[in-house]
Amino acid sequence: LSSIIFKALSHGGKVVLFTCKPDPGADGSERSGLTFRTFYFEREGNAFVKATEGAAAISRKLAARMDVVTCESALDVQRRVKTPFVLVTKRSEKGGSFQYSLLTLAGSPNRLEPCIEFKLPYQMKGKVRILQGPTVLWCHGNSAFYTSPLAAGVREVPVQTTRWLFGELPIHKGQLFALGLSEPLLTNQPQSTLGYFLELGQVFDGSLILPRPYLCITQCVRVLRADGEGDALRCAVVAATSQKQLVLFENGTVRDTCELPFEQADDVQVVNTGRSGCLLLVLFKQGHVCAVWKETFQVRISMKAIHSAHVGDFLGCGTEQALLLFGGPGFSREPLEKFLITDLCGISYSTSLPPQENSLFTLQALESRLQKSQLRLCLKSKQRRLGSKRPPLPEGLVALWDSDEGSDGETLDDKMHETPATSSKPKADKLWHRITGDQLVVGLILSAESASGVSLSLLTEPGQSSPAVIQSRSQVFWLPARGPPTPTLPASSSGRAFSEPAAKRSKRRVAGDDPEARRLAVTAATELAPLLTSGCVKCRAMLHYAEEGEALVPESRPATAVQHCGNVSVDVHDLCQTPLLQNPQIRSDEVREDLLSLLTVLDHWLFRIDSPDYSLGDVDGWIKRREGFKKIEVSPEHLLLDSPGCSAPMLLRWHQINPFQGNLSIHSRHFFSIRTLEKISSPQLMGTREPLRNTLTLRPSTKFSRRM
Amino acid sequence: MMSLLAKWTRENNELAFNCKQQNDELNRDHNNLFSHRRCSSDFHKLLRKLQGIPPHSDHAQLELSVVYNACVCLTALSHFEEAELLLTQAAHRVLELAGEDRGTSDPSVLWRAALKSVAGTALHRHVLSLLCLQWGIWLAKSCLNPIKEFQEEMSLLERQGGAVWDDCRTEAKEKIPNIPRLVLDPRRLAELLKICTAIVQGAERLNEGWNTLSALQAAAALPAPRALIAYTHLLSGSCLAHMNRPQMALQCFRRALETDPRCACALYQSTLLYRQLGNVQAEIQALRILHSTLLLPPTTEPAPAAGRLLSPSLFLCSQSLGSLLSVPSALSVLHSLALKCVIHDRVSEGVENYLDLLAALRSEDQHGVTANTLTAHAVVSTLPKLPRLYLEAAAALLMARRPADCMALCDEVIGTILDLLPDKVLLEDPEDGSVAESREEREEAESGLVKLLWAAAAYLLLGHCYAQQEDWKQAVTHYTRCFNLLVKVHCKNNAFSPQVSAPDKESNQGVDLCVLQRLKGISLAGRGISFAQMDRLREALRDLHLGLQALPEGVSAGQWCGEVLWRLDRRREAAACWEKTWSHTCPPLAEALPVYAQELQSGPLLDPTELRSRLKELGPL
Repeated sequence: LSSIIFKALSHGGKVVLFTCKPDPGADGSERSGLTFRTFYFEREGNAFVKATEGAAAISRKLAARMDVVTCESALDVQRRVKTPFVLVTKRSEKGGSFQYSLLTLAGSPNRLEPCIEFKLPYQMKGKVRILQGPTVLWCHGNSAFYTSPLAAGVREVPVQTTRWLFGELPIHKGQLFALGLSEPLLTNQPQSTLGYFLELGQVFDGSLILPRPYLCITQCVRVLRADGEGDALRCAVVAATSQKQLVLFENGTVRDTCELPFEQADDVQVVNTGRSGCLLLVLFKQGHVCAVWKETFQVRISMKAIHSAHVGDFLGCGTEQALLLFGGPGFSREPLEKFLITDLCGISYSTSLPPQENSLFTLQALESRLQKSQLRLCLKSKQRRLGSKRPPLPEGLVALWDSDEGSDGETLDDKMHETPATSSKPKADKLWHRITGDQLVVGLILSAESASGVSLSLLTEPGQSSPAVIQSRSQVFWLPARGPPTPTLPASSSGRAFSEPAAKRSKRRVAGDDPEARRLAVTAATELAPLLTSGCVKCRAMLHYAEEGEALVPESRPATAVQHCGNVSVDVHDLCQTPLLQNPQIRSDEVREDLLSLLTVLDHWLFRIDSPDYSLGDVDGWIKRREGFKKIEVSPEHLLLDSPGCSAPMLLRWHQINPFQGNLSIHSRHFFSIRTLEKISSPQLMGTREPLRNTLTLRPSTKFSRRM
Repeated sequence: MMSLLAKWTRENNELAFNCKQQNDELNRDHNNLFSHRRCSSDFHKLLRKLQGIPPHSDHAQLELSVVYNACVCLTALSHFEEAELLLTQAAHRVLELAGEDRGTSDPSVLWRAALKSVAGTALHRHVLSLLCLQWGIWLAKSCLNPIKEFQEEMSLLERQGGAVWDDCRTEAKEKIPNIPRLVLDPRRLAELLKICTAIVQGAERLNEGWNTLSALQAAAALPAPRALIAYTHLLSGSCLAHMNRPQMALQCFRRALETDPRCACALYQSTLLYRQLGNVQAEIQALRILHSTLLLPPTTEPAPAAGRLLSPSLFLCSQSLGSLLSVPSALSVLHSLALKCVIHDRVSEGVENYLDLLAALRSEDQHGVTANTLTAHAVVSTLPKLPRLYLEAAAALLMARRPADCMALCDEVIGTILDLLPDKVLLEDPEDGSVAESREEREEAESGLVKLLWAAAAYLLLGHCYAQQEDWKQAVTHYTRCFNLLVKVHCKNNAFSPQVSAPDKESNQGVDLCVLQRLKGISLAGRGISFAQMDRLREALRDLHLGLQALPEGVSAGQWCGEVLWRLDRRREAAACWEKTWSHTCPPLAEALPVYAQELQSGPLLDPTELRSRLKELGPL
């Protein structure tokens, strides 16, 4: 008795059970046949009651073994009604071929009538579907086959692929489709989903229904809604995948996903519960089932040990419910004894659960409604947010403590260019000249107590005519004292000694800055071309300086003294490469003179980098690590960029005032845009850190351009 | 038609854009929790879609970017467990892609394998940024060991920054849509984590007694928000304080404050250090600044660390650090300040502070909220009970010669607790184990004792007030009331006599008994002095003797005892009494005992030089 196999389907609010009579009698007196029984649910009795029953003799031959392959309710196109269909198979005695019959339960007398009969040389394996038409679809090997009353015989889908999925589009004129993997014509071409409309015999882009990566992992698929035709097809599809997900697709795009509690999904059914929306019922091969609300796309309930699940209006209330038939030892005797009818929205009937426990389902239903209203709430607040305006930006905090340290940095830079008050007669040390670019730079190294009023001018050689002043511009640079072997300017304050109190430190710095030992360089730069065209290759260098004592009186113009300190003759051979650019690692007077020439000739830009909220970090180290920047040994705080890409060398100096501020000094030939600065400068200063960009104050405060 | 990858990339980029924008907008309203939550669920949803298909090399960059984005949002919500789960899953999928997933559960092995499997590919930096998030989660959970293991990889992320990320950035600028956007530049994250790690590690090692100075100094040079740089200085200071170099430690605390003027913990640590050094004036100054700092309204979080999305406080939750960063409440600080002032001869200032404190407490009582609950620092409340605060304030007022105000406060205390006083308090010897006494009984006895002492102290102060106003009769009445309350306390064991000079006893009861004894002595002495002023010399002498018995080091009792003896013409005895009194050094006010249980020198004083000249006249003994 245990071998009795029931196949059930739901049709018109009733449950139809199909059973094949098992082995015919050994004596052969009994014909093999198919029986059916229909049941309806009686609310008062809380039980299913048999409505009709019947049988059909299928085989005229005795001793043929018959099985129910599958049964499904599908649209009968000719009669335009949904009708239950059942597919049975008989195996002929010879064993070579298999006879298949599709029967329909039609008409008021409730009779099983044959609809299609066909023969196959093999047995159907895998999933067989009965879809609208009725159309029977199955796979064999790499091919998909179908048959229907209109198709006249078994047809083969004219494409071959390893994997097939069948479905129907719920549009006006039903469209049956098969989805498969298309083989790419070229190996590097991406594979796409191949779709085939059975009735039209048309190939279409199947990724409109199911994107390609999902085809291989999809276990079952159901189209919820569709409109449009051909390439304008728009549809919503749910698919259960082998990754334990239920995926909602809209027009070939993943709309939502839901983790499933079990593996091996077998079927997805849709329960239209009316006002509460759609419930997706996922059935699994092991006899599990779970229900997912379509709107929230979350699992509401999951159950095990289910024989089958059906959808229909079993209560006759106008909306659909899910019917779960529980398997178990008594199932073959009384298949409808243990059941649950529910829509998870307040309706719940069950034999296994006493009526008072139904409140559980009511609660769940309430919960599910609440869940949905929360969703709506969430959407509302989203919209409101979009309408709101941006509040104004809060004012930035002003750093309270940059006064003393900041001035530290200021003075350092000012020392380079500004001149202290007192002075005495300077002592000229060495006169040199360079041709840098298109300019002649004459420089003088001297010792002086101050740089007040110090400048250098050039005069033409008196031999030719009366001496004339050559238009030039002069700059003064402090040089480190001769004493220490490494010529350095005072170190930046970032690497302060930790253990020393501030007082001690400042004392030491003052002690090192003996004014008597000061050396400076004064330079004069002039255009080379006019000199050469006028034939003037020799010129006199004149040093100007302020007379001692005069500068102490404020508001008075100090009397300036002039001193001739040597002659310069320009030679074309001076045009050769300067040692600095060849090798900045060399430490020699020539290299230092090169550096001073460059500093004189190039335009100077000073940027104050100010990041009040976020410390700058190791900018110095970062710049030094950038490709192309070379340290200059004679003045280690300067970096030289002389890449072939740049037309002129560039000098860079980073001076950190405190962890949140620094000065970037750039000597370059060409106009400097922020864009170029961004390219060379650290990402810590520019670029992705948005808040910093707001506070970055670029102050080209001291721009020394060429004065003509 | 757009490919799935392009659509998902666009979805990710839109989400990332929204997330950044909302975050910028909402941060000003202090309401970014909601936005974070929605971002995180949106990213998670997208991730579920991506992970719904088997790992594929075309999708891997996008998938890892979405994992990163989702985990950043989860981390911002402190949902570390969920974020870690996603990260682990991602690592497994990376391995699956390479066909190498062996299902290891050890996170270090897993991440190493994942990094190895993508070495040299474009995915490497994506896996590194996920590892960076994992680092953050380890840090938040105070798991410092795996962080140490991966130190090299972390620095790799920073170093490789330059070239690769710049390319990515310029490409992104040209708006090529198929580059997945990230809600937070991983380098910014690494930067933030680096300094947070340095701070947490520093605190842990400090707690274990290691010298971490050099590591902390290096951390101070890192790019970081102001507040975090300040923390590195603070920790250096604590480290130096541990190394017994208080001056250098103070330098560090100062530097922390210079860096972040709101670094209240640096101020607090300074006050502790000044106290340790015994520099009272500096301590009072620091307490005053600390108090005004704590009263500043909480700012809109100024640290735009890691693009405002991740607050550094997420990663700074180690316990050792918490104890270093904890700061008492503003009211506790005000109380300490007031007490310090009163004890160290800055009475009028102390009085003002006490009055401010009481006013603040009263308004807080009305509004029912603590103003300090909003501050970022952990708040430790060490504020004594209200009656004690009233009594301390009253004592300060008395010292400031404002008897009327003092009396008002004392009346309030008495009015509040008089009805609650027990008729009798029976005390057990705490060292006597044989007496099995229930805990409730003992607690009841203790709370009864405390209330009794408050009421007695209030009467004592009232007595002092009347004495100050030279209303000797009223003074006697109130000293008597004080004494009458005190004698309600009985000790069960007669052998157990409380030691007056042991206020540093561990148990509360020890302190209470010490206070009891002192109050007895002071009230008797006060009454004796009052009697002396009323010329009732015999009663005066009796009380002064009893007072000296209760509190042998009582200075005014000793002096007045001598004076009364002198007036009774018992000059030799008087001389002996004075000599004995002068042999004690007059103790300064101490913090260990309540101010009102100490001699306030508020009553009538005798001039010791005059007494000495009298003694000289008397001649040698």
